[in-house]
Amino acid sequence: MLTFDHVHFYYKKGQTIINDVNFTIQAGEFVSIVGANGSGKSTVAKLIDGLLLPKKGTVKFQQLDTTNPDELMKIHQQVGFVFQNPEDQFITTTVMDEVLFGLQNIRVPREEMRGRVDTALRAVQMEEYLEAMPHQLSGGQKQRVAIAAILAMQPKMIIFDEATSMLDPQGRKQVLSIMHELHDQGMTIIHITHHMEEVLSAERILLIHEGHLEFDGDPFVFFETMSVEKYQLQLPFAVRLRKTLQLDPPFTVNWKEGIRSQWSIN
Amino acid sequence: MVYQLNNVSVNYSRQTALRNVSCTMEEGKWISVIGQTGAGKSTFVQVLKGLIPHIDGDYLIDQQPVKRDAKGQLKVIPEIGFVFQYPEHQLFETTVFKELAFAPKQQGMSNQQITKSISKILPQLGLSEDILPLAPFQLSGGLKRRVAIASVLMMNPKLLIVDEPTAGLDPISKVALLQLLKKWQQQVNRTLIFVSHQMEDVAEYSDEVIVFHEGCLIGQLDTRTLFLEQSHLLEKIGLSLPESVQLLKLVEELTGEKIQVSSCREQEIFEKVIPVWKARRLQNV
Repeated sequence: MLTFDHVHFYYKKGQTIINDVNFTIQAGEFVSIVGANGSGKSTVAKLIDGLLLPKKGTVKFQQLDTTNPDELMKIHQQVGFVFQNPEDQFITTTVMDEVLFGLQNIRVPREEMRGRVDTALRAVQMEEYLEAMPHQLSGGQKQRVAIAAILAMQPKMIIFDEATSMLDPQGRKQVLSIMHELHDQGMTIIHITHHMEEVLSAERILLIHEGHLEFDGDPFVFFETMSVEKYQLQLPFAVRLRKTLQLDPPFTVNWKEGIRSQWSIN
Repeated sequence: MVYQLNNVSVNYSRQTALRNVSCTMEEGKWISVIGQTGAGKSTFVQVLKGLIPHIDGDYLIDQQPVKRDAKGQLKVIPEIGFVFQYPEHQLFETTVFKELAFAPKQQGMSNQQITKSISKILPQLGLSEDILPLAPFQLSGGLKRRVAIASVLMMNPKLLIVDEPTAGLDPISKVALLQLLKKWQQQVNRTLIFVSHQMEDVAEYSDEVIVFHEGCLIGQLDTRTLFLEQSHLLEKIGLSLPESVQLLKLVEELTGEKIQVSSCREQEIFEKVIPVWKARRLQNV
């Protein structure tokens, strides 16, 4: 579905922002991208969506090349982006208008719009807030509206770029459970986060370090085999506990709950 | 200095943001402020800084009412430092030195005093003088955040308010920043007000915790009492316990044994819990 083939990116020559990164993501995968501040995670996300273009190598989404202007619009229509602060994305005065806005931009037929708005808001359990003003909602609700606005455009992949980092625990839980529900329904999810507990519920981790792809694989293998501190990361509580108690893996994880690695001992 | 609110309420046009809040914040403590979004945390810290002109009730510093203008409105209190979320968004100077010197210069501090203060503040935040000629925007996210906080500490605040200071930082930068803040707070014996959603951080660093719910202050307790003895307060408002405390409670439940801890810090809990759990395992084998 998505292929990075020897991708390089820099702003100025001599700089290394992204250096020879290769990976493929299949449809329906749930992938977490982790790394230190400034490691290149968000740059990878912007390269996927064609917000940035590779200086060398190719980024292809569904065989569409981001460097081809005719194909780029098709990519934009199929890849949704949910940012850290939902307010940065809001430009209208009601929840309904917010969700409609994207549909107008991609020229969805008028008769189809209302149905898409209702379905998207239902998916994030915000159908009762159709007439509400986005800025009056809680952090978690705002982020759910931002997700609905993306869902209405019926993307094939959604990138969540630290979308839970500004939310309170309840808001985080709501957004994470929506991410997992969407994944269950077949959506490809890319989740960029600094919360290592959230990473445990991904199917796969990509670690970006100083512009290089340093690890691509299973979250459990990642936490068991890598010196995560070297990459400015920390072991999730569940893994710290497992190692301290010298319990045999796997002992963590409620796969679907998402908000924190569920652990239990007996 | 002791900061005290007596029956303070804040009303906006249609809603009450704070309702009859009374509390005392003593010198030299790390006080965390927790609650769900919209519970009143931000309004509370804005009141402390004097950012909300009209409040009902009394605000006292060292038992003296905070000065109000002729209309009875509060003014911004310069002695209180306030670090907003993502403080690096406010960096604007061309070098780190100019950034750190900006506010003191506005306050009439001499160049010599500024240089002296910078030399004192930088090591407190784990920063080297080598970064002074660099543009703030060249720095990593964690360093930028520290420079932004250093610029607030340059004013030698009597009380420091930090609102989610680690949001967006990678885990190691987060821990480093919190440890530096703790060190600063202890070294200068000032009060630090820490607004956070991260219960693990609250448990690790706080002396006291203030809990807000729907505009009301529903508890001000020392950290250990809140998490170990009054955790129903958190359940009531939908906040979870730190994971290390959950572990402690689970092992107590499994063994029927009361495990004494003096704090809610993860390392201490691990040290006390693990022998009890291992002993139980051996018995079961």
